[in-house]
Amino acid sequence: MKTKSSRNQQVRSDCEELLARFQQTDSVRFEVFSQIWREMKFGHIFFGTAGREKRAFGRAALDVAAVYFLPPFSFQIRAGGLYLLHGLYHCQTASPRVPIRLALKDWEDVLAFEKDAVGAQHLDAVFLLRQLLLRKAFHFAAMPALLTFKRSKEEARSRLCKRFVARARGPQELVGRDAMEELSNIHHLYGKLKSSVFSEAQRERLGVALIRHNLPAQLRGHVVSFHGWQKRKQQEESDDEDEGDGEGTSSRAESSRRAQLLSSIKSKAYGQAAETCKSRRHRQVEVNAGEESGPALSKVRSKSSKVSLKARTTENVCIIGDMSKEAATSTRIHHLTALDRGGRQAQKDESAGE
Amino acid sequence: MRPHKNRGLGSGLNELTLSAAVGTKLHIEDEDAFHANFAQEMGVSVDMMRELKEVCSIASLRCHPEDQEPDPEVVPEDPTLKTLVERKKKQDYKSSLKISKNRHDLYADEQERLAVMMKPEAVENMVSEGDVILTMNVYYPATFEKFCYVRPHMTLLLMGSQRLTELRDAICCASDLQMCGEFSNAPDMAPDFVSKEHYKSAFFFFEGVFYNDMRYPECRDISQTTITWAKANNFPPYSQAKMEDTKLLDLQVKVGFPYLYCHQGDCEHVVIITDVRLTHKDDCLDRKFYPLLTHKHRIATQKCAVCYTFIARWCTTGDQFAPSHPCVFCDKCFRMLHYDADGNKLGDFQAYPYIDRGAFN
Ligand SMILES: [Zn+2]
Ligand SMILES: [Zn+2]
Repeated sequence: MKTKSSRNQQVRSDCEELLARFQQTDSVRFEVFSQIWREMKFGHIFFGTAGREKRAFGRAALDVAAVYFLPPFSFQIRAGGLYLLHGLYHCQTASPRVPIRLALKDWEDVLAFEKDAVGAQHLDAVFLLRQLLLRKAFHFAAMPALLTFKRSKEEARSRLCKRFVARARGPQELVGRDAMEELSNIHHLYGKLKSSVFSEAQRERLGVALIRHNLPAQLRGHVVSFHGWQKRKQQEESDDEDEGDGEGTSSRAESSRRAQLLSSIKSKAYGQAAETCKSRRHRQVEVNAGEESGPALSKVRSKSSKVSLKARTTENVCIIGDMSKEAATSTRIHHLTALDRGGRQAQKDESAGE
Repeated sequence: MRPHKNRGLGSGLNELTLSAAVGTKLHIEDEDAFHANFAQEMGVSVDMMRELKEVCSIASLRCHPEDQEPDPEVVPEDPTLKTLVERKKKQDYKSSLKISKNRHDLYADEQERLAVMMKPEAVENMVSEGDVILTMNVYYPATFEKFCYVRPHMTLLLMGSQRLTELRDAICCASDLQMCGEFSNAPDMAPDFVSKEHYKSAFFFFEGVFYNDMRYPECRDISQTTITWAKANNFPPYSQAKMEDTKLLDLQVKVGFPYLYCHQGDCEHVVIITDVRLTHKDDCLDRKFYPLLTHKHRIATQKCAVCYTFIARWCTTGDQFAPSHPCVFCDKCFRMLHYDADGNKLGDFQAYPYIDRGAFN
């Protein structure tokens, strides 16, 4: 049993290495993924297994990989997880092929992912998912893995790679452009209504604040600071994680951090409008934010020439992180705030105990 | 007194088939039709579709030149993936030990291969689409210490449409073959007396319900004692149902939870449903092969104390010829040692038929 879980650990770290490299490209293209796959010679992961081990290893590898295709991971990682499943399923050496297990509870998430991918025109992701379904690559099961009481603890509670987890966007989505517009309209009417009760002179004599001034702006301010806090938090966490990884990874993390920073600056500058109308064809290798945001940018500007609070909120409230292009509307919100510290601490303790 | 019928095992999964089929509209298409439909639905031009297929082709996953196919049986030289580094280490270590594959491993391959791709000759034996397959582990009682650590069990695949009695009949346990009684005066009488034929009562216990085997007139409700006792001691009420009336699909169970199978009065097995899933084209699709045995624990068998070759069939006590007390013998050695040529009993001893735990290997 011990060898089994350590084998899973190795497969997991290989998968995470592949996905981390994929994450750095800021791309969801299969073309980009398959290049990393070839560079790492990932298909060779099945080589050297024989007899029973072929199926057993195939099962283990697919079970490990399937996790990345599901929430709470970001859209980009989930796309990478899908490509990983596609690669592992087709490169395995067992015959007939070991199927990918998909649990009942996860099916809705898969459909939501597909919807997101269709909506964003990620043709390669949609194509490969449907191809897997066509080729009957899935076992539709009640649970994600076989359940017996002989499973070691670490296996059952599989470690989440924090860097891959999608950042919660609940507050940002809730206080979006439309909501802001609505809110400022209502607030305006509300203020008018309230102040109509008293005359100007009465109000001054009473000295009562009838409405909260500048509510939309305050709300916006809170969301902005939440976003900033969340970012710092994630940064800290990925720093923590890197520390334990030993040499080599830190420089990579450094460059990825810079890339994240750059892309977040860009996306902040251009706003959501730029993001949504960005064309995404399957052959486009990397997202070139500067170039593609051109037309979208002018759109935003022309809107803002209409002045008013509405326009200002529009421009400022679109807080889009580096993962913005992935978090399409129908993805479920899994963590409303940052990652749960308690669970993380427990995990640390566990790994310390080993 | 009725089996649980509210939301059985299969219902959730059946909904899944439906949405899987509807959600992707793919259930009967071949690849060409799939490509055409995809292009149409997504509004993709012919050129772009060609490019998409190329980008997503299996060739894009190839990690070596096309004409230099490496041997997939061998770990490649200088691997960088952690999995391969470890595998190489392990293989180098193993080859230094020079242990050949054991017989059981070879046999297990065979059993696994048997389980797949079996298509029935008659259409009516075909597993129906949307039926579920349950994987059940039936554990052997921890009758001796070693069993507490290795958790020996058999694994069976069953269709959701099968009844609990089919599961019961597929469980092989040495205690069903046990013969009770002392036969030293008439050893030829022993084989006729097999416990399974005499003590037919048995039950499964799932989620507060005892499912009794009541197929034969000799069957008794052996759960009644427990139920009465539980009632008298203020335990939550248990109910009874008939094993032969209950389909697996109708059970209300937790996957991965330990339940109980009890037969021969006190031979108790833990039963765990480890998996429930929809049937797949690569499954054995012939109904008559279910319940399908996919794993069986093999136990070292007790060998005869004289020849050390054959599996023990007799156990003696108070035996003046035996080196130990009790002592086990194969049928041939037992008879040669304890009876004369005419079959007359020699000396003083008691003889009991012995069924080895590994009798089903
Ligand atoms: Zn038994
Ligand atoms: Zn013998």
